[in-house]
Amino acid sequence: MRIPGAGILKGMRVTMRNYWAPKVTSQYPEQRPTMPDRWRGRLDLIYDPFGEHKCEVCFQCAQVCPVEAIDMSGFDSRGNRIRYGMPEIYDERRDPNAYRRAGLTAAPMRNAARWDEEIDNGWLRGVIDGFSGRPESLVAIFSAIQEHYGYLPERALRQVSDTMSIHWAQIFGAAGLGGFRLLPGEGHVITICTCTACRFAGGESLLAALSEELGIVPGESTADGAFSLETSDSVAAGALAPALRIDTLVYGPLTTEQARHLVGERRRAAAATGRPA
Amino acid sequence: MDLDLLLGVGRFLLATTLLLLLTVPTAFVVIQMELKVIAQMQLRYGPNRIGPWGMFQSTIHGFKFLAKEDHMPDQADRTTFTLAPWMVYMAAAMSMLVIPWAPGAIAADFNIGIVYFFAIIGLSVVGMLIAGWASYNKYSLLGGLRSAAQMVSYEIPLTLSVVGVVVLGGTLNFREVIEWQLDHGWMLLWQPVGWGIFYIASLAEINRTPFDMVEADSELVAGPFTEYSGMRFGFFFFAEYVALFIMSGIMVALFFGGWLAPWPFPAQLEGFGGTLYGIFWFFLKSYLFVFVAVWLRATLPRVRVDQLMGMAWKVLLPLAMLNLIVTAGVVVWLKL
Repeated sequence: MRIPGAGILKGMRVTMRNYWAPKVTSQYPEQRPTMPDRWRGRLDLIYDPFGEHKCEVCFQCAQVCPVEAIDMSGFDSRGNRIRYGMPEIYDERRDPNAYRRAGLTAAPMRNAARWDEEIDNGWLRGVIDGFSGRPESLVAIFSAIQEHYGYLPERALRQVSDTMSIHWAQIFGAAGLGGFRLLPGEGHVITICTCTACRFAGGESLLAALSEELGIVPGESTADGAFSLETSDSVAAGALAPALRIDTLVYGPLTTEQARHLVGERRRAAAATGRPA
Repeated sequence: MDLDLLLGVGRFLLATTLLLLLTVPTAFVVIQMELKVIAQMQLRYGPNRIGPWGMFQSTIHGFKFLAKEDHMPDQADRTTFTLAPWMVYMAAAMSMLVIPWAPGAIAADFNIGIVYFFAIIGLSVVGMLIAGWASYNKYSLLGGLRSAAQMVSYEIPLTLSVVGVVVLGGTLNFREVIEWQLDHGWMLLWQPVGWGIFYIASLAEINRTPFDMVEADSELVAGPFTEYSGMRFGFFFFAEYVALFIMSGIMVALFFGGWLAPWPFPAQLEGFGGTLYGIFWFFLKSYLFVFVAVWLRATLPRVRVDQLMGMAWKVLLPLAMLNLIVTAGVVVWLKL
């Protein structure tokens, strides 16, 4: 026999039992879970149900990461390519700094003693003021710094970040643009473009000519350290094929004679000032 | 102008002011109880940030209403739109006049207190109806009509179930009903069916779960309150919770001996101490039933409209009639 109201009483018994039951919600700001000492969170790229990356390359994760472990490149949601540092130099840029942050001396760095070179803050501020501190002048400011020091000292980049109120992740990312040096270089970096257009237009012969001129193969430096040679398929000057880049400057289209001339010009300048770069 | 009349007017003004002021903390306490108890029943902590144990959460909610924009639709009928929350709130506040808090602590000791109470508490129907109409909004109007249908339907079994008490006690005065219970024991023992009908109907009358069809904000927008915001809505909200306390208090007075203490204690004491003693027991019992109403809300889902109306007209009304006839018959037969 069904008693009217029996179901209600049953339900009320359940709620009353819950009333006295211990509550297990952790009171977050006061009670914090204890994490293992080495816990740093986990980086994970999430995919949507159709198998596409959900990452939109918004860089917010890179901006909040305290150890700047995150960098990326890709396409934003409008299909524009976002490139904060080319993938080719991703490792080169990341590794020495990662070693340095970890306090390891085994950093694969050249001129390790100079990475935290003192910089002339007054001079740097003058440069920034000269560009009115406009963020769009960032690359020009970097060029000026590189011209002065031969590379972009970390302290200078920090100073730029502080003065111009641009986040360090973005400064560091922009400094990863082709041609800027984040470490004291031994000399000029000559990058031969190996993109399809440049190879068709004679990039191979350009590479062969400069290898012969300098006596090194890509990936090496000359014995006096004045030049190092490398290749890249994104000098990003398809219309100038065949192109090469010396430090930050892109030249093209070039004949082998013109390329030899550019190198010789720098060799003479270095001999005149006595200082590489 | 004699002194007695002046004293009477002064006493009346004092009592009404006190009662009007009492509605605000009452609403705060009941709302806080609702927040906290339901949270605990849902295995949550509930509010625990504002004040010790979060006890000022509902107060902050109340003052928040004051800070909100007071919006009125362009086409709304300004007079009645403004009048409606006032009416609903006053229906609750005015019905507090006859609540028997303790011996000697009744604001207005009418000889027709029960009639007055049910007449005044019914005024909130008018308030809801004009709130729905004045909003110039179809949903509000339908909500107002729906709440009117519900509350008018449930007022009939509610009032009829009390007639049994009136017949037994032979009085329409709350104080005398309680004094009758001092001699004969709680009315619950004499009128269990009447109490059941009263309890169910009172839940519907004050729009409590499982009969909270009037607002039902998750399903029916917010009924007649759709266009109300700020403190105007706050008045409806307050009135609802004050009415919950008042209904519990009236039920305690009619069926659970009012200010009388239960068995192991002396039923009532003399003098001012006796008043405090009565207030203590009255509040204890009333808040017990407020707790039960909150407990029910944490437990039961909302009923459908047809179930709601069927319950009123097909079950409660015949039962209340039967209860009344049997009670009257027994009273006549036994010459009680």
